[in-house]
Amino acid sequence: MIVCVAVVGHQNNPLYIQSFTDADDALKLHHIVHCSLDVIEERVNNPKRSGTTLNEAFLGLLYPTVNYKVYGYLTNTKVKFILVTTDLDVRDTDVRSFFRKFHAAYVDAVSNPFHVPGKKITSRTFAQTVSNIVGSYGLN
Amino acid sequence: MGREVAESCVDTMLMEMVAMYSARFYANKPELAARRIEAIGYQVGHQLSERYTMERPRFSDHLEAIKFICKDFWSEVFKKQIDNLKTNHRVKYFLEIMKFLTNFSCVCFSPMSLQGTFVLQDNKFRWLSRVSIDPSSEKETEDPSTPGESKAAQAVSMYLYFPCGIIRGVLSNLGIPCAVSADISSLPTCSFVIRVKA
Repeated sequence: MIVCVAVVGHQNNPLYIQSFTDADDALKLHHIVHCSLDVIEERVNNPKRSGTTLNEAFLGLLYPTVNYKVYGYLTNTKVKFILVTTDLDVRDTDVRSFFRKFHAAYVDAVSNPFHVPGKKITSRTFAQTVSNIVGSYGLN
Repeated sequence: MGREVAESCVDTMLMEMVAMYSARFYANKPELAARRIEAIGYQVGHQLSERYTMERPRFSDHLEAIKFICKDFWSEVFKKQIDNLKTNHRVKYFLEIMKFLTNFSCVCFSPMSLQGTFVLQDNKFRWLSRVSIDPSSEKETEDPSTPGESKAAQAVSMYLYFPCGIIRGVLSNLGIPCAVSADISSLPTCSFVIRVKA
């Protein structure tokens, strides 16, 4: 089950954070998202010598904590998507297709002429689309 | 997934934008109008870059980003690719003169900074395809030939601030700060000069 998704801009400024679980965990989830930014930086700056392609957008599992797994995705414009999930067995294809749909929703939200780049995404449509994507995650 | 719009609408909107900003909002202040139009282009480029880099893996260096603009981005926006790309890497040399013990002087060079200039040449720029090429005015008018020519050139250049802004927006969203200017010495060929800030 997905508990949190976040969009972080290229200066590590949060653009969108949404948690899908009870309110008391929200701060902890924000903290987890914040820590994962360091992992992303480190992954991007020191490319792994083994198999993983240097330039792929999907970064894979960033780091597992006690209850959560954190997945990352870095776009060409240095915008980072973070996904926090509590699932024990997570299929790679599910996460990849989640990020693909999420990226499409993000692009639509940013193309809004009233959106100021660098500020938080306030579009209700985006929030609705994200909830739909989260809802349909792993169902197929 | 997106909706389609007639190209004539885009043409009309661009002409109207330039007319509005040059004649109504900033009449007699062409530099301000140009800057405003370029800023609009910057935001549009910013948003377009998000959309058109969606499917692609990340770029490893500046040249890849420029090639993306020349090929994929240009064909999405202008339905063709850039015809000619020239780069002009200028390397500044630091001259070191060392004197050895016995009156020898040794000169060695080392590259200090790399500044990239890219020239993107489009032989038939779509947004200028309807602009009339001024028939040679040197024959008819002797006196106002130079100002007449520059007025036509200035009028055309107003239409190029928007695409310059778009290119600048795309590059800065990809992490490459730059300055973009257009060169219309020979219509309908149009060259965009990108100067990457070091």
